[in-house]
Amino acid sequence: MLAFGLLLGLLVGSCKEEQYTYGVEDVLIQPVDLSGKKAKTPEQFLNILYANLYQKAMSANQLVKATDVITSIGDKQVAYETVISKFMNDPNIILPTEESMRNDPEAFVKESYQRFFVRVPTEAEKTWMINFINSHPDVTPEHVYYAFAIANEYYFY
Amino acid sequence: MKRREFLKKSALAAGAITVPYILPTGRLFAQSGSQMAEHVVLVLFAGGVRHQESILQRYLAESQDLDIEGNIMYNMLTGDAPELKVVYGTTPAGQQPGIQPISRILQTPLDKQGTLFPEVRFSKAGTGHFVGLSTGVSGHYGVTQGLRQRPINPTIFEYVRRYLNAKATDVWFVGNGIGNSTPLLNHSDHPDFGYRYAANFFAPNVTFGSKGVEFLKGFKVYHPDEELVPIREMQAFLNNSFNLAGKEIPHLYNTDEEKADIKDFIRTTFERLENNQVSFPPVTDNGDLSTIGYTTEILRWFKPKLTVVNMSSVDSCHGSYTSYLKSLHRGDHAVGHLWNYIQTQIPEMKDNTVMMIMPEHGRNYEPNPITDENDWFAFDHDSDANSRRIFTQMVGPNVPANLRVGSELNPVGDAADTVVTIADILGIKQDVLGAGLVDFNAMSLFDRI
Repeated sequence: MLAFGLLLGLLVGSCKEEQYTYGVEDVLIQPVDLSGKKAKTPEQFLNILYANLYQKAMSANQLVKATDVITSIGDKQVAYETVISKFMNDPNIILPTEESMRNDPEAFVKESYQRFFVRVPTEAEKTWMINFINSHPDVTPEHVYYAFAIANEYYFY
Repeated sequence: MKRREFLKKSALAAGAITVPYILPTGRLFAQSGSQMAEHVVLVLFAGGVRHQESILQRYLAESQDLDIEGNIMYNMLTGDAPELKVVYGTTPAGQQPGIQPISRILQTPLDKQGTLFPEVRFSKAGTGHFVGLSTGVSGHYGVTQGLRQRPINPTIFEYVRRYLNAKATDVWFVGNGIGNSTPLLNHSDHPDFGYRYAANFFAPNVTFGSKGVEFLKGFKVYHPDEELVPIREMQAFLNNSFNLAGKEIPHLYNTDEEKADIKDFIRTTFERLENNQVSFPPVTDNGDLSTIGYTTEILRWFKPKLTVVNMSSVDSCHGSYTSYLKSLHRGDHAVGHLWNYIQTQIPEMKDNTVMMIMPEHGRNYEPNPITDENDWFAFDHDSDANSRRIFTQMVGPNVPANLRVGSELNPVGDAADTVVTIADILGIKQDVLGAGLVDFNAMSLFDRI
């Protein structure tokens, strides 16, 4: 009798339907949280930049010289932009072809974010960049790479 | 002085009709005083200049126990050159080293053209280069100032940018190199001033030397409309992620136009170097002289309100007295060239520029044990009384000519005066003094006359 009572209780209890209520909370969409990032030293910046553009390491001797050049100019934005544009004038840098960028802009954008910012772009970022490339037929991979290299986010890690 | 009274009365008259308005810097009024000149060039004749070989013109007489006196700085000072043991000049082929003194550039020495304070004092802190330079640009003795640390109190660059509402390219610091924390002198870390009011900076021997050739010369110039516009649009989008975090690549608040102008200057200077058009002094065989040559290029291009340039070659005196004499002679040559260039090649600055010259500190009276190729003893700078003896020279509009102020028994002037004096020339003395961040003894040298 006792066993029957327990079984009945279990059956009644287990059959009780749970009630779920779903809703949508307001969420403020912020840009990528970069507050915890640190500034690169000139040596870090130049080393990474060189590796990104030449796909090989900068020699120690070159690094010392390039760092001195950055130090010799007060406005670091001017200094970095000038050194980067000097690299861009070097036929030895390795850039994606324009054809590959135009054929698959999404892959190009994702690869650029990964290469320069070491992260995946958000959907909004990806969409904006793809639209920009598609709507600017004169923009080249070099222009895009230059924009990434002089962006503030590239200066931080 | 009557001239000073006139200037003060002029300032009062100008103040009486000034209409107040709010400047972007938050000031209610425009500059509070009248300007004596629109441009100031300060030469930090640095590296540690011994008084005996400069102002006192004792040559070898009060250093090497040889009775040979004379003036080896004849662009700056009046006096005859030594006739014996000449080692400070250039070396014609097959002749004794340094036997040929460098020809004078200025027919009238600067002490005749302007005012000399022959006995100024570096009155506080140790006589080290960085603290000396920091005092020279901030008017504050950073007795706790360390290397690799920006000046604690605001620099004259920051005062000028803030109180004169000057753009970044109006204010330049030209360093003789990147060692000894020199690049840190273009602004302080003071929370009310700092990098937003900084001077632009070049160490031109590096920027335009072999390293600059390798990493800057021939940089790509993007088309301003067809290429830079879309690049900047992408950059602005990418930077949106960072704006909220408040992080950006360090900069000096140059506008986009100023940044483009600086890049154009860099490109043009490499071109002028290639074509031998850079206006180096007639003899340019050390770093100070090339630094001054590049400084003339900066003056010609930007016509800054304030330019500070530092030299340092005389510091070779730690190990070679002969080298020190050569550097002292070349420092004078550099100053002569700079003043001559301003007066003859830059019409906008001619008769509208005050130049000041001051060593950051002196050198010891007693030598160290090191001897050079002439068996002459070297000298350090260890904060003895002699190493606190410096001079300040001024020349330009509204600076009394042929005037000496002070003597060994009656020293007049302090190393910290430079900032207040520059502020006085540019009409912002009361603002600078009102900020209360210069040495409490600092005064305009014009007020010490």
